[in-house]
Amino acid sequence: MMTLTINGRKVELEAPVTILEAAKRNGIDIPTLCHHPALELWGGCRMCLVEVEKMPRLQTACTVRVADGMAVRTETPRVVAARKAILEFLLINHPLECPTCDKAGICALQDLTVRYGAVAGRFEEGKRVFPEVVDDPVIVRNMKRCIMCTRCVRMCDGVQGASAIGVIEKGARSHIEPFSGGRYNCEYCGNCLAVCPVGAIMSKLHRYTYRPWQMEKTVKTICSFCGVGCTLRLEVRDESIKRVSAEFGDGVNNGLLCGRGRFGYEYVDSPERLKTPMIRRDGRLERATWDEALDYAAGRLLEIKKENGGGAIGGIAGGRATNEEIYLFQKLLRAGFGSNNIDSIARLGLLPAQKILEDIFGQGAVANLISGIPRSEAVLVVASDPTRTNPVMGLEVRAAARAGRKVIAIGHIDGLRRHRTRRLEAKTGPGQETMIMAGLLSELLKIKPLSGENPEFEEAIKAWGKTLPGPDEVEKATGVSALLISGTAADLKDVSTSSIIAGRELASSMDIRTNMMMLAALGYILNSRIFLISEHPNEQGLIEMGCSPEMLPGERPVDVRTFREKCEQAWGAGINPEAGLTLMEMIEQAGASIKALYVMGEDPAFGLPSRGRVKEALGRLDFLIVQDIFMTGTAAMADVVFPALAWSEKDGTYTNLEKRIQRLKKAVIKEGIEDWRILAEIGKRAGLPSRYRGVADIFREIAQVSPIHAGLGFESIEEGGVLWPYKGKPLSVSSSPSSAAGRFPGSGKAVSISPPPDRNVLKLVLDKPLLHSGTLSTHSDALMDLTGGPEARLCPETGGKLGIADGDAVKVSTGEGQISLRARLESGLPEDALFISNDFREAGAFELFGYQLEPESKTPVLTVQNLKVERL
Amino acid sequence: MSPAPSAEKPLAGLEEIKKNYPASSAALMPALYEARRQFGWLSPEALSAVADALNLPKAAVRSTASFYGMFNQGKTGRHLVRICTNVACMVLGAGSVLEKLEARYGLTPGGTSRDGRFSLAVTECIGACDKGPAMLVDDDMHTDLTGERITEVLERYE
Ligand code: SF4
Ligand code: SF4
Ligand code: SF4
Ligand code: FES
Ligand code: FES
Repeated sequence: MMTLTINGRKVELEAPVTILEAAKRNGIDIPTLCHHPALELWGGCRMCLVEVEKMPRLQTACTVRVADGMAVRTETPRVVAARKAILEFLLINHPLECPTCDKAGICALQDLTVRYGAVAGRFEEGKRVFPEVVDDPVIVRNMKRCIMCTRCVRMCDGVQGASAIGVIEKGARSHIEPFSGGRYNCEYCGNCLAVCPVGAIMSKLHRYTYRPWQMEKTVKTICSFCGVGCTLRLEVRDESIKRVSAEFGDGVNNGLLCGRGRFGYEYVDSPERLKTPMIRRDGRLERATWDEALDYAAGRLLEIKKENGGGAIGGIAGGRATNEEIYLFQKLLRAGFGSNNIDSIARLGLLPAQKILEDIFGQGAVANLISGIPRSEAVLVVASDPTRTNPVMGLEVRAAARAGRKVIAIGHIDGLRRHRTRRLEAKTGPGQETMIMAGLLSELLKIKPLSGENPEFEEAIKAWGKTLPGPDEVEKATGVSALLISGTAADLKDVSTSSIIAGRELASSMDIRTNMMMLAALGYILNSRIFLISEHPNEQGLIEMGCSPEMLPGERPVDVRTFREKCEQAWGAGINPEAGLTLMEMIEQAGASIKALYVMGEDPAFGLPSRGRVKEALGRLDFLIVQDIFMTGTAAMADVVFPALAWSEKDGTYTNLEKRIQRLKKAVIKEGIEDWRILAEIGKRAGLPSRYRGVADIFREIAQVSPIHAGLGFESIEEGGVLWPYKGKPLSVSSSPSSAAGRFPGSGKAVSISPPPDRNVLKLVLDKPLLHSGTLSTHSDALMDLTGGPEARLCPETGGKLGIADGDAVKVSTGEGQISLRARLESGLPEDALFISNDFREAGAFELFGYQLEPESKTPVLTVQNLKVERL
Repeated sequence: MSPAPSAEKPLAGLEEIKKNYPASSAALMPALYEARRQFGWLSPEALSAVADALNLPKAAVRSTASFYGMFNQGKTGRHLVRICTNVACMVLGAGSVLEKLEARYGLTPGGTSRDGRFSLAVTECIGACDKGPAMLVDDDMHTDLTGERITEVLERYE
């Protein structure tokens, strides 16, 4: 306990915080320029000077900590004179172009000049001149406005970990620049411009169109680009989003964003948005009224049900729909049309992976807080790159590395390459993570004492561990040195808390079960929080809301009568007791047992492997309904198209990868009707009474039907969301220790791991670009400008061997199909790999990948045959 | 001198330098010296090569290099002449030395002689104030310059 006297008032403090912090807690405002709560202390601008009794000089409140008995005064004539002088100095060089500066109105320098009245300069100096740099797609740099607070550099370096910018030159010539001096070529998170107190670094998207005082409203909502679920602020004017930002203290992201979240919103205003429902007449999609389209859709589905039974109808949902929409979607199919053929893109990895883990540890196995990552003693990142797929979660991994935690990257993790990590990367190329994990696990089982918490489970994993390949064997197969593996294990020996981050790559694998069991075993041994990377904002919701053939809302198995009965009562209709078809099975059965598909917010003709075959299959359907915001490839094949709303246009909830339920809030809506209404209207026509007045009513029904959501009220989901466990009851699959152990095969049963690939054969790898996620982002001009278009990334050595130079046009073909795109040579990539993403319609990787179903989980595992690359 | 590191003539010797320092960031200054020695100036390629070799961010390497006047990032002639124009040297006649350079070689600060032999830069104090005017030609120090002496010295550089 210490006492501080501040402006004559005595206050008590628990800990020696800075004077600035102490003042803030007591409602006293000390002006700052270089200080930012998210950044390392710096003390460079001197704006925060205060008088401290018995100290001859003025002190910087942002860096000096309170000592017991200190007496501080924050606004004496001496202090005011000093601040005024600092402003006067800053303004010597400042262009004073507030009328044309986008920052005017929220500029710290402007505000402080007004506050301290430093209006008359006494210096005759030429102003610094730096040309405005506008050739970057999203960031404008105006260095004559820079006040050298270095907030941007400390952000890029110390928080984002991209270290893309620095102070260049010295004295009056100093300014901020990326290495190139022109374009940033960085991660484009825009976190630098978010902390710039003046108008020196700004977003190009709202250049000259954004005046803060003209904004009509600011809406706090959730980002719809990935499963992190960052809190965003949308500023709206004239029915259009003008700016997206986040403030320190906001949400899971604590004010940070990635480029998709910050710059990706333009698609909402795209002229290509669908506006009216459409019906196929004489082979052509034509505009129709809502009633026509709804009647037609419901009528045809009922006919097909009558002729072929409900099992002839299937539904596929995407991961951008809200919980309420997903819930209604599966209810419509189950209760309205008697079909359990409901699945989603979560089948591509998240759902099966999570199910195996939950089977072992119980529901909630993956409900962990992202904010805990940098606090764990060790962090294991396996196969997937969180800095690309879930960027803001990736920042926590980088924070852990910066804090000196033991960060271990298993596989090729681009985004951690320059950060302090121990890298276990196979020389045989990508896809060897199973093997490497096995080596690490078997070694850990040998040297690390187990907690004894669950003896039966420990017995089981120990017995299982004996069958795993040891470090020597792993070295032979993958080229990762046995010494490195055993060294890593030794390093982890005393770790008592850790985090493990893994993604789709481990799930979309014939080894999925082995992979997940290894994760579980590692998780147990290292006392880990496990995080599964989630590519879509509401992928978790798809699982929890029952959007899968085998599970009802609350992840209750559909083949258990009591669970079914609960839903039947609420829905007033019977439910088929048998699990339905999974995602790829529905596609395969198209035209055979599946006659009609309802696709909501997903583009299977684009987003599923083996595009050619998927398109053919869709063509065989008798009836196809698509609900989307754009005329996607699938929509173009549909018989009925419903225009959907974009994320900024709707209310509802999303569940992020931490199992945190968060509110999505409507910012602006130009035209169209809410997606849930479309579902409810079709439901009505299929005999499902609908009494919903809004999404709150739907949520109420969810809470009634889903045991895990029981007792949750829509309105009670405040800022920060609702964390797992929700108020309801989790499913008790394996709460007993022995049942967890039972999930491991008996001792002596060898672990099956797919053999390592041939090192000399080029492999196709599904790339996950940082600035795109699916086709949605390709409708955002800013994001398109950043990447330009589809790319095949490979390392210069491989490029050399194939006679391909950077920027060359290449043709890539496989047994499935062929695409043409630009080659991008990048050093540091694995030698035998060709990275192509599936984010561009013209040239997506799923044109090239085939798939094979993993027999148990029915996850499509990507396959490649006859890969050829040629220069065009 | 080659203009920039390339596949044929890569930046060499940084591994040796790294060994002398506990952290690669500590090796940055000597590495930049070495790169400048080998190529005469710090091209973007040279800065990239230093960054790669030391596993430091490229922007940080450029930031450091740009702080120090002697890490010239512009292309120069075969020899870089730096004339000190700080107080002591100025008083001792740096001005007339500069005049002579312009008259004899057509050199002005920031410029390069037409034959590509010399580039001229003015520099802050180089620590030879007692023997001014002073200059550096590449890494050699020359002092007590006069209008005559300077041509005599420079003629030794091809
Ligand atoms: S956008 Fe992000 S990565 Fe790029 S310079 Fe700014 S902070 Fe760094
Ligand atoms: S650009 Fe902005 S944040 Fe960066 S140093 Fe200048 S004023 Fe500060
Ligand atoms: S990390 Fe994910 S949720 Fe956060 S801003 Fe980026 S895309 Fe959006
Ligand atoms: S805010 Fe304290 S020195 Fe800049
Ligand atoms: S002033 Fe010229 S060397 Fe010091």
